[in-house]
Amino acid sequence: MIRRFMKSREVRKLLRNRLALVSLAISGLYLTVGLAVLLFGLITLDDTEVRVGMDSTPGFGREVKPEERFETCDWYLTRFERLLKRKDVDSAIAEWDTVAYRKLAIDADQLEERVDEAIEIYEELEEEEDLDERPELESRLAELETIMASFFVTPSGFDKLLYDARLCLGTDRQGRSILVRGLYSIKVAVQIGLIVSLIAVTLGSLLGCAAAFFGGWVDHLVIFLYSTLSSIPNLVLLTMLAFAFTGSSVEETLIPVYVAFCATFWIGPCRVIRGETLKLKELEYVQAATAVGFGRLRIMVKHIIPTTAHLMFVNFSLLFVGAIKGEVILSFLGLGVKKGPSWGIMISASRPEVLNGFFWQIGTATVLMFGLVLSFNILTDALQDAFDPKHAG
Amino acid sequence: MNDTNTILRVNHLSTCFKTDRGVVTAVDDVSFEVERGETLGIVGESGCGKTVTSKSIMRLLPEQISFLKPESEVLFGGVNLAFAPEKHMRTVRGNKIAMIFQEPMTSLNPVFTVGWQIDEALKYHTTLDRGGRNKRAIEMLELVEIPNPVERIDEYPHQLSGGMRQRVMIAIALCCEPDVLIADEPTTALDVTIQAQILRLMNDLKDRLGTAIILITHDLGVVAQVCDRVMVMYAGRAIEEAEVVELFHRPQHPYTKALLESIPKSGRREHGRRLPTIDGMVPSLFDLPVGCRFQDRCGFRDQLCIDQEPVLTTDPEHRVRCHHPLNSPASSDPVDGV
Amino acid sequence: MPLLQVTDLVKHFPVRGGVLNRVIANVHAVNGVSFSVARGETLGIVGESGCGKSTLGKAILRLHDATSGKIAYDGTDITSLKHRDMIPFRRRLQIIFQDPYSSLNPRMTVKAMLREAIRFHEIVPNTELDTYIKSMLAKVGLPDDAMNKFPHEFSGGQRQRLGIARALALKPEFIVADEPVSALDVSIQAQVLNLLMDLKDEFGLTLIFISHDLKVIEHFCDRVLVMYLGHIVEEIRCEDLLDEARHPYTQALLGANPINDPADRRPLAVLEGDVPSPFDPPSGCPFVSRCSIAVEKCQTMPPLEQHSDSHRLACWER
Repeated sequence: MIRRFMKSREVRKLLRNRLALVSLAISGLYLTVGLAVLLFGLITLDDTEVRVGMDSTPGFGREVKPEERFETCDWYLTRFERLLKRKDVDSAIAEWDTVAYRKLAIDADQLEERVDEAIEIYEELEEEEDLDERPELESRLAELETIMASFFVTPSGFDKLLYDARLCLGTDRQGRSILVRGLYSIKVAVQIGLIVSLIAVTLGSLLGCAAAFFGGWVDHLVIFLYSTLSSIPNLVLLTMLAFAFTGSSVEETLIPVYVAFCATFWIGPCRVIRGETLKLKELEYVQAATAVGFGRLRIMVKHIIPTTAHLMFVNFSLLFVGAIKGEVILSFLGLGVKKGPSWGIMISASRPEVLNGFFWQIGTATVLMFGLVLSFNILTDALQDAFDPKHAG
Repeated sequence: MNDTNTILRVNHLSTCFKTDRGVVTAVDDVSFEVERGETLGIVGESGCGKTVTSKSIMRLLPEQISFLKPESEVLFGGVNLAFAPEKHMRTVRGNKIAMIFQEPMTSLNPVFTVGWQIDEALKYHTTLDRGGRNKRAIEMLELVEIPNPVERIDEYPHQLSGGMRQRVMIAIALCCEPDVLIADEPTTALDVTIQAQILRLMNDLKDRLGTAIILITHDLGVVAQVCDRVMVMYAGRAIEEAEVVELFHRPQHPYTKALLESIPKSGRREHGRRLPTIDGMVPSLFDLPVGCRFQDRCGFRDQLCIDQEPVLTTDPEHRVRCHHPLNSPASSDPVDGV
Repeated sequence: MPLLQVTDLVKHFPVRGGVLNRVIANVHAVNGVSFSVARGETLGIVGESGCGKSTLGKAILRLHDATSGKIAYDGTDITSLKHRDMIPFRRRLQIIFQDPYSSLNPRMTVKAMLREAIRFHEIVPNTELDTYIKSMLAKVGLPDDAMNKFPHEFSGGQRQRLGIARALALKPEFIVADEPVSALDVSIQAQVLNLLMDLKDEFGLTLIFISHDLKVIEHFCDRVLVMYLGHIVEEIRCEDLLDEARHPYTQALLGANPINDPADRRPLAVLEGDVPSPFDPPSGCPFVSRCSIAVEKCQTMPPLEQHSDSHRLACWER
């Protein structure tokens, strides 16, 4: 069955389209990451909340000026001083270990000693102005950095890779890794996309097919349902449904989002499948099946539904993208995902950052979303070309 | 045949399509000419390239997926239309060479009145003023024998029957007095009695206007009824061309002969008799044989037919592409090298 | 007793419209048609598009439910049989469709398509299914390897053969062939007609052959019904068609056929005007608006009367 599918004309046509293949690869990558997070816990919700560095650090590729290096040292020193003021320094050190992904290499006594040492150089440098313009101070700054580095276990091997990776796209205002949050959001997007489009396509197709095939009151009811629902602006309906769940026990979960999307998204496939079924049921091979003596239910299940499969497929991919975009908008408005990161939440949170000229968070969220939506859209177009019999050739 | 009477000459026309499975040559080195006032029939089964030929002449094929081979020539009014600029084609299409299509349902725009659609063509190609155009439109509808033209001119295509729509199409095609009219299966979608009306109309118009007609059809009965000369096409090739009576009475290509025989005929003697058939199918254009393209279905096939594709003979009265032509006084020895 | 006896069959299609989607008109597709078909006979039905010939064919098979009238098959009235009671008749009465493209399910292989029907009616034991399907394909001139192919892998002519195989696989007695060759090229048309002729003899079939082409009917059938606007206007033996057809419409159909020989080209006998709309057919003779010999009396409907032994005619003037 699968081999026959892979050898079919449609699949061969799809495989010849290079752009589609690239999109397929990209979408596949997204799906893999999403499913790995979802099923195997590649990144946990806790990972996304961990502080990995100082606030709002920029990502890779930019030369770090002496002034900034000095500030970084300043940030860590302030924290160490605060740590030393605690009553139970040892447990504070242990706590630090678990939270920040940067293990301290020294105990309380050594810490105090080194901090003093560092503060000496720090104060010396603090008096100077314009560190950026003073190359002669470079050696002192390097000295300070060496001391600072000695506080920590130097990450090596895989750990170093992870450490660098976490910081490669910078941190947000709470010092959380933007990359980790961005990747975790793929899971949120894929989860919402898959569940919503699966439910909506199944629901819509069944209703559409039944409406067209049985006609009469079934048809009237379905048409009434979707024309009523589609006469309300989509976003208003989504907002309304999302609001309806505030205060309930499922508010924290994604269920309100699923319900809001499924309630509106089934209309598209329902219309398409209903139209197609109306056309198909007049075709001669359906009449031929009647002439053989088959009952109506059997004809619907065996002869009509399989023939609309390509439409379901195409609708599925359209809704998948639609649900992802919708989730971002809802979350941006504060109505969607309530717990944990999502692209919409990241974009929403980056508002003040953008005013300060810090684009790493909004950039990451938009680029990741753009990549998924664009590649999936191209893929959908290619699928439509390949599977629509009217485009055959 | 180089006399000045020739109005359209097609030389070595080859039209190729880019498909998923590679490039196919749908029309392969086809040459013919049409004289003033003459009706040339192009006959063949579906997929033989007859419609592509007509669309190539009009340059109506989508340029993204099709192209003409460089040696193709469509000489009309001293210009090679095969590679003429689009701007020139616009002055030719609908004006000097007009076309009518098979489906009268879809070739008229459903949202405009009949009069508007004739008027549009006149506005584009003539300098007549509004009144003049209206008068001309009514004249044209009278010419194609539409009753009450003054009322009909304000009707929409859906108010007309299939036959009436095809008449309107003919009126639009003829309103600029074209030199050549290409009719692509003009009666295929119509009922027999309506077909008879349209065929009679076309015959009348030919006599009255002196327009050269290229009639593309799969129906040999239609050819017998209206054409002066016939070209038979098979799998992208022109395989036989002759004056109509000559071709019907003395077909030289086995395919033409078989095609003529496979039409059901009237009369008591014919009743219940098995029809002579041509076995097999037209070869796929993707997978053409080396030799004669008809070889798989031909009763006269020998090694020569398998090895080498025959060339079209040069006899101006009767051209044929066969190694062993039937009914030929010159026997089975065609002249080589066209 | 005739195998099939159709009495006063009427089929109207309601046309809905307006704000309330009420029935605003009826298309009078078949308007009181009576005829019979004897076992082993081939009956042709000819007429132009919209004359109701296809609707009639499908109504006989209960693909459309008749508005009124009676269809008796082999002595049983099948006009209003329930689905369950109809099943044995479904096997005995089969249909071949016009369009070889829409009449085969594009998502089913040939084998799946035939197997489904054969198993439903338990024609052969399951163990012999493959052999039986192969033998059926061989009967219609298709190779064994056609079994595992999809319809789009076949040409128009081959698909029509598949349609024939599907009908024959149920071992029917009676087949309605609805324009089986109209969509095919001339050379393929002849192949399919010959095939039908052979199979008819081999299986002892009774056939109703529907076509718009009088030449094909004349060649293929024993008797022909000429239909116009839902009425039978003439019924005649095919061999008498050329000499004895009396109805002006039949004669017009004969005269409108293009000639076969360009040497004796003559103007076609042209019938003026168009077929009236079936929404609103004339009250009298349906042909009156195009008839050259119409008189006052033609404003009332002429009955279909026995003209001679095998000849029925509905015309006041002939």
